[in-house]
Amino acid sequence: MEAKANETFFIYEVFSQKSVSASFVHQFSLLAPNEEVALTMARENFLRREPCFNLWVVKRDNIHGLPPEERPFLERLDNKSYRETKGYGDLQARWRHHKEKYEEQQKHAGNGS
Amino acid sequence: MGDNVRVENVEQAKQNQEYAQALADLLFQLADDDFILAYRGSEWLGLAPHIEEDVAFSSMSQDMMGHAVMHYQMLEDLGLGKADDLAQLREAGAFRNAILVERKNGAGEYNDNPHYDWAYAIVRSYVYGLYKQVRLESLLQSSYAPLALISRKMLTEHRYHLMHWQVWLKQLANSTKEARQKLETGIARVWEDAGELSSLGQNADNIVRFGLIAGEELLRQRWLANTKDIFQKAGLSWPGEPGVPTERGRLGEHTADLGQALATLSEVYRLDPVAKW
Amino acid sequence: MQTQIERFNMTENEKMEAFLARIDRGEKIEADDWMPDDYRNQLVKLISMHGMSEIMGALPEKEWVPKAPTLRRKLAIMAKVQDEMGHGQLLLRVAEDLIAPLGKTREDLMQDLFTGRLKFHNVFHMEAPTWADAGVIGWLVDGAAIITQSMSLDTSYAPYARALHRICAEEKFHAQHGESIVLELAEGTAEQRQMLQEAITRWWPSLLMFFGPPENGNITSNQASNMRYKIRTQTNEELRQVFLKKYLPRIFHLGFTLPDDTIYFDEAEDKWVYQQPDWEAFKQIVKGNGPRSAHRLNLREMSYEETKWVRDAIMSFGRQVG
Repeated sequence: MEAKANETFFIYEVFSQKSVSASFVHQFSLLAPNEEVALTMARENFLRREPCFNLWVVKRDNIHGLPPEERPFLERLDNKSYRETKGYGDLQARWRHHKEKYEEQQKHAGNGS
Repeated sequence: MGDNVRVENVEQAKQNQEYAQALADLLFQLADDDFILAYRGSEWLGLAPHIEEDVAFSSMSQDMMGHAVMHYQMLEDLGLGKADDLAQLREAGAFRNAILVERKNGAGEYNDNPHYDWAYAIVRSYVYGLYKQVRLESLLQSSYAPLALISRKMLTEHRYHLMHWQVWLKQLANSTKEARQKLETGIARVWEDAGELSSLGQNADNIVRFGLIAGEELLRQRWLANTKDIFQKAGLSWPGEPGVPTERGRLGEHTADLGQALATLSEVYRLDPVAKW
Repeated sequence: MQTQIERFNMTENEKMEAFLARIDRGEKIEADDWMPDDYRNQLVKLISMHGMSEIMGALPEKEWVPKAPTLRRKLAIMAKVQDEMGHGQLLLRVAEDLIAPLGKTREDLMQDLFTGRLKFHNVFHMEAPTWADAGVIGWLVDGAAIITQSMSLDTSYAPYARALHRICAEEKFHAQHGESIVLELAEGTAEQRQMLQEAITRWWPSLLMFFGPPENGNITSNQASNMRYKIRTQTNEELRQVFLKKYLPRIFHLGFTLPDDTIYFDEAEDKWVYQQPDWEAFKQIVKGNGPRSAHRLNLREMSYEETKWVRDAIMSFGRQVG
């Protein structure tokens, strides 16, 4: 079967992993007729100098994302300190306080005996 | 020195003239094969069927030329001259590459009406690559330790190349009638020369006796078995015993294509080989 | 915050105002954001020309790939020309995503190149007859390209900015590659120095033309809208002056001359004053009437058309052989 005249290659998004402990990151996109060919071209097109431990190619049609109008809704109120370490900044001082108090008590106990 | 030798470094190799000669003869074959085919690959730059493939293809030519440089460097270490001189100042008669790798990419020149043939490029790269694979694997057991070491390093890159060619061969073989026909023409052309690949040249007996690499027949059988398997998986009919070209490249007989290649490769360097470039 | 409903009800004028407000706030535009046709067209024109210039730019240097005088230089220039093709790939992908809503693909861009509708950079229409030309291209043409590209890193179109970041990182290697070739020739024999002097002389007008005609206070409507949209933020002459300030001293430090006796640095104005190149010739060159335009276009078109069967074949892979 001959290819139809108006058929064009598909867009594949390329993701790569730098090392076993690194997450996959998006690199760029390329045109290819199928995933197998996309995979053979991916590293040389985007990672000629960087280390590459593993590769993914994903057909762009299979990626689902937010339309531009909905992207602004990803923004959050800045009131979630309870989720973050910065919300617990008092802990160290309190531990220090207990340690000092304990040491003070030990000193007194030692003096007493 | 005879059978079961192990030569750890270049100084040891130089102590036995016969061994050093056999080693040099083999290294010229390895270096010249990769150098000339990498040059043919580099002529494709900017002309491949698809931009992304152009970029990918060039890396393989670079890797291959990188392998040649490592072999020329080993020859330099043996005291046979500077690597740049070995690559660019020898006359065609001193080259030991197989004829298959020197054939032009198409009817024209890289810079002028090239009319390059992608089917031939794929088949030549893959068939040569399959032989190179067998050769590198055998070199892992080479009596010359430095050669075994670099062969191991080259194998990783080379396997990645084979993956690439395998995809192309399989996809072209199972696509359009036109592609299938061009592929078969490419196979027929490659087959006219391919039989020479496993030749170890004039000094074959010593090369094998010193344990530098396995014998011609063993290399040839392994390579043909692998290639047959690949062709079968791709649904291609087996073209039978590969032929040998009229000129015997391993003996220093070459076609006009190599003369043209060397003239191009050394054009600038020959302006003044003593100058720094 | 704007909601989908509000945007849906906006008039074209209101959309345009909101778009310009985003630009003014320094926000970046993505491929699927609403954008005025004019913005899209300006981007397509700029980025497809940039991308094709990379692809066509591979050809003059490619002439020197096999001829490079040492094994190391052969490898380096191969890697460099490969990068140029890679940059073309990145830029064409950005352009392709912009023309996709218009029902167009890379194929259309290729055909536009062949018919002359899509132009490529003046420097790539020129001859490169010696090894020193390969050096000058790497050093000065890439040097000029780095200036233009790094000045555009802050472009309002985010996909273009991302491509440029990748490109600029590699251009640093290219500049060093060119400098290395040039310094070897400059420190070499009398013949090598002469070869380099001739190449500098030959490339001088093309290098001045690289940035386009000076505005002399008359910004064209294209430039004005590019600046309004923050696609690019410098004028041709501003970019050229950055180039001259960086590279002229280096040319003189190596003891080379330019084919312009009148050139001098005006301290008060803080700029180089130079003899204008032939801007009529420039127009002819970018129209496709340069010394190597037809040859290189022919090379590209021939290789593209003769390998159509390959693209068709892999596109139909997996279906039954007929």
